[in-house]
Amino acid sequence: MARAKPKLIKERVPTPEVPVEERVRSFVEVNLGYDFASALKEAERCIQCPPEYAPCIKGCPVHINIPGFIRALRENPDNPDEAVKNALRVIWNDNTLPAVTGRVCPQEEQCEAPCVMGKVGEPINIGKLERFVADYARKHGIEEALLREFMGGNGGMKGKVAVVGSGPAGLTCAGELAKMGYKVTIFEALHKPGGVLIYGIPEFRLPKEILEKEIAKLRELGVEIKLDYIVGKTVTLEELLEEYDAVFIGTGAGTPKLLNIPGILLDRIYTANEFLTRINLMKAYLFPEYDEPIAIGKKTIVIGAGNTAMDAARSALRLGTEVTIAYRRGREDMTARIEEIQHAEEEGVKFEFFVNPVEFIGDENGKVKAVKFEKMRPLDERDSRGKRKIVGTGEYITLEADTVIIAIGLEPNRIISEEATGLKTNSDGTLVVDENLMTSIPGVFAGGDAIRGEATVILAMGDGKKAAKAIHNYIQAKKANA
Amino acid sequence: MGYKITKKENLSAIDFFMEVEAPHIARSWKVGQFVVLIPDEKGERVPMSVYYADDGRIGMFLRRHGITTFKLWYEFDVGDEILSITGPLGKPIDVKYYGNVVFVSDAVCAQAESYATLKAMKEVGNYTIAIQTFENAANVYPEKYLAKPVADEHYLTTEDGSVGIKGHYLDVLKELIEKDKVDIVFGGGKLGSLKKLAELTRPYGIPTIVTVRQIMVDGTGMCGSCRVLYDGEIKFACRDGPMMDAHKIDWDDAIKRNARFAEQEKIARERYLAKLREKGVI
Repeated sequence: MARAKPKLIKERVPTPEVPVEERVRSFVEVNLGYDFASALKEAERCIQCPPEYAPCIKGCPVHINIPGFIRALRENPDNPDEAVKNALRVIWNDNTLPAVTGRVCPQEEQCEAPCVMGKVGEPINIGKLERFVADYARKHGIEEALLREFMGGNGGMKGKVAVVGSGPAGLTCAGELAKMGYKVTIFEALHKPGGVLIYGIPEFRLPKEILEKEIAKLRELGVEIKLDYIVGKTVTLEELLEEYDAVFIGTGAGTPKLLNIPGILLDRIYTANEFLTRINLMKAYLFPEYDEPIAIGKKTIVIGAGNTAMDAARSALRLGTEVTIAYRRGREDMTARIEEIQHAEEEGVKFEFFVNPVEFIGDENGKVKAVKFEKMRPLDERDSRGKRKIVGTGEYITLEADTVIIAIGLEPNRIISEEATGLKTNSDGTLVVDENLMTSIPGVFAGGDAIRGEATVILAMGDGKKAAKAIHNYIQAKKANA
Repeated sequence: MGYKITKKENLSAIDFFMEVEAPHIARSWKVGQFVVLIPDEKGERVPMSVYYADDGRIGMFLRRHGITTFKLWYEFDVGDEILSITGPLGKPIDVKYYGNVVFVSDAVCAQAESYATLKAMKEVGNYTIAIQTFENAANVYPEKYLAKPVADEHYLTTEDGSVGIKGHYLDVLKELIEKDKVDIVFGGGKLGSLKKLAELTRPYGIPTIVTVRQIMVDGTGMCGSCRVLYDGEIKFACRDGPMMDAHKIDWDDAIKRNARFAEQEKIARERYLAKLREKGVI
C-alpha cells in the first residue's frame, strides 16, 4: 500500500542537553542525543531525495548514503534493533566511525547545509541521527553481527598496509582497507590511539569511552595498533616499505603555531595542544587523583576562534576559571562550529572581538598577568578566504589574565619528512601528493591534515577513504604486474 | 600490554637504576636521544635519559624525586610491567672525532648520559674525560655505574668534599681548560650549573653541547611545553634538542620554565608519600 504523502514538518525534533549549571563544573557529554522514538520522528521529516540527486550526499566528504540510512531507520518502526542494524549497514559502507562523526562534524556546513528541507524550514538533523544509529547499535550489541558480515565478503588477505597515525584519517583508511581484506597495522606515537580525537577533543564533546569502542571495532576488523611507535624515529619509513605493500601517512597537523611576541615564555601561557593534551589524554582535570598536573589561574584568555579555541575555553571553564575568547576578527569570521560557539556562550565564556595580541605581561615571578592587544578595524575588502580584511588602529587595550591559551592554529609535524629523504613537502610542511593522494615516494600515500595543514575530522576521514581505494588499486596493479 | 622491568638496583641515597624491555626503542636509539615513559594508567608522561640501549633493553637512571620516580621505586619490581615507553626522541648528537672530549654531569639524568656519550666518543677515537659531580658521599654511585670504564680520565667530585675532589665539575673543568686540553664539552644536569658552564666556556670559544631539560608532555614537538629561547628564536627542547648549544640558550628563561609545575609536583609528591606512610611502606 502506498504511503500517504507526508506533511512537511518544518521544525527539528530537538535533542536534550545537560543543563548549563550541571555541565559547567564537569566533563560529562553536553548533548544527550535522540532516543528511538524521537529519532524516528526526525527521520520522518526527510523527504527522501533520490541518491543520485541528494544534496546531502554531495555535501558529505565521505558521501554517506544519508537518505538510505534514514529510510532504513524508519522502515522498521516496531523493531528498533532491525531498523538500526539496517541503517548502520548503510553508514558503515562509507564511514566506520559514525559515533565520532555524528558528534564532531560541522554538519551545518556539510550534509545539512544543502538539505532541501532547509529551504522550507530546518534541515534534517543528520548528525544527530547518525550519532543515534551508532550509539544505539553500540549499546544494544548490534555491531558484532554486522562486523562479521563486513569481514565475510572480502575474499581474504589482499596485502599488508602500514598506517602512520591513529587519528581520523588513519583510522578511516585502516577501516576501509580492513573491510577490503587487507592486513593493516597502525603505528601510533602516543600511548593511546585516536590522535586528535583523544588528545584534542574534550570528553564533553566526544566521550573517551565512545571513541575507545569505535577503535575496538577496528581491532575486531583485524586492524593491529602498535602504540608508542614513532615512524621516523622508532622505525623508518624505508623499513616500513620493506615490510608492507604500501604506507599511509595520517600524521595530522600536530605542531602548534606560537605568537612571536614578547612574553611568550612566561608561565601559564599554554598552547592549546599542551592544555588539551594534559586534560584530555592525561586527565589532568582529575589531578591529583591522576599524576599529570595542570596549573590554571582565575582569569583565562583564549586566543583564537576555531573549534580548538572553543574546546580549550570550555575546558578551562570547567577547571573553575573565568574565560574570555579574544579574536582579532569579528564574530561572523569565527571558524568554530555553531553548536560549539553556542555551548560556549551558554556556559558563560565571554568574547572580545577585533583585538590582536601584541605582548604578554608578566609579574615578578615570571607568571603571565595580562595581555596587551591592539584594537583592530574591519575593512570592506575581503581576503582570499572570504574573510573581511582587518587593520590595526594604533589603539591598545590591556586585559588581565593569569592564564593564556594560544589556539591560533597548527602545522604538520615534520618528524617523518625530516627523516625520509625523498618525501617532498610544501613550505608549510604539508606533504606533496598527487590526485590519488600518493606522495613523492611510490607506495606512500598521505591524507588529512598532513596534506591539508588544518582541516576538519571529516575531511581527514574523506582522505583516508580515498587513499584506501588508491592503495587498493596500487597494490593490485603491482601484484598483477609482478 | 606493557613493558617488562628486567633490572632494578639502588644507585645511591637518592638515585636508582632501572632496565626495561623495549626492543622497538633499543634497535633505533642513538646517543643524545631520550625516551618518554608512563608508569601506569594514572601516570604522567616523563622524559628520561638513556644509560644504554642494548639487547632489546633500555637502561635508565632515575631520581626518587617526583611522584613518577617514587612510584617506580616503591611499586614496581623486576618482572612488573610499566604502561608505556616511547622513543627514541630528539636528535642524536654528532658522534665523530673532536680530540679531547669532556662530559660534565651533576644530576641523575646526566650521569646516565655521561656514560653513553663518552662510550660512543671513545669508540671513534676521542680522548675522553668525565667529570661527575655528586652532592655528597651518600649520593655517589657504585663504581660500575660511573663513566670510569669509558673515560680516559675520570674525575669524581662531591660538593661537600666527602668523597673525591671537593668542589663542582665547574672547578675541575676550569683547570682542564687552563691546561689547554679541552676541544669540546658535553654536559647535563642542573640547569643552574649549565648556565655557569656556558659562561665558563664561552670566553674560550669551546663548543659546549648540553641537555636542555624542560617540562614535556608528548616529546614529539606537538605540545610546545618545552619551548626555549635559542639564539633569539623559539625552539622545542624535545624536537630541536634535547642536546643544544649551551651558548645559544637563554638560561634564565629555561630555568624559570622548568619550575612551572613546582606547586603541583609538591602536592602530588606529598600526597603520595603520605599514602606510603599510611601503609607503613616508609
